[in-house]
Amino acid sequence: MKNNIKVERAKNNITQAQLAELVKVSRQTINAIELGKYNLSTILALKIAHVFNQSLHDVFELEESDWRS
Amino acid sequence: MKTNYLLPNRFKKIGWFLFIPGIILGILYLIYEPQPEFLNATVFAIAESLFEFSFIKNNVYDEITALLIIIGAIFIAFSREKSEDEYISRIRLDSLVWATYVNYIVVILAIIFVYDFGFYWVILLNMFTILIFFIIRYNWALLKSRKQIQNEE
Repeated sequence: MKNNIKVERAKNNITQAQLAELVKVSRQTINAIELGKYNLSTILALKIAHVFNQSLHDVFELEESDWRS
Repeated sequence: MKTNYLLPNRFKKIGWFLFIPGIILGILYLIYEPQPEFLNATVFAIAESLFEFSFIKNNVYDEITALLIIIGAIFIAFSREKSEDEYISRIRLDSLVWATYVNYIVVILAIIFVYDFGFYWVILLNMFTILIFFIIRYNWALLKSRKQIQNEE
């Protein structure tokens, strides 16, 4: 799964730490998601999209490889 | 996401206060097998032979040591982080699976290559190693994820 959290953060001028606080997770978690190291839960994905005032699909996108695993 | 079965964060500190003295007593036990007089006690034994209940005389040094290590290690291993969240749960699970594999690889190697009294010592230490392997792997993984943040800045 691809995400453009980093881009959205830049647009909204929010740091990783601030985003972490807004969605009530640790900074490591936001960092791991941005780096594509961790597939987050649906709830957290919805929260992040909500913070950026976007729909889920604008922030997160399936990749071809997601259909294989 | 709710993580079940974890202890409150403050248990981590209590865990270290039990675990460190336990490890020191444990190392002394491996070297000297001390049996301090004041720890001689009459204990209730369920199984001198199985289900024959009796009271026997025993030095409780090794019992106290084992309990300190096990209870301490469980407190350290399974206390909630200050910022416990779904990613940390994931690290926790990965580390637990890893520790179980490593622990039983050691047991399997010991079954094949270690005999007699040596095997007894391996199994004795094996009571503690799964928790210790977990604590090392889990904290190492946490540290790595924290380091990654610093690199990002």
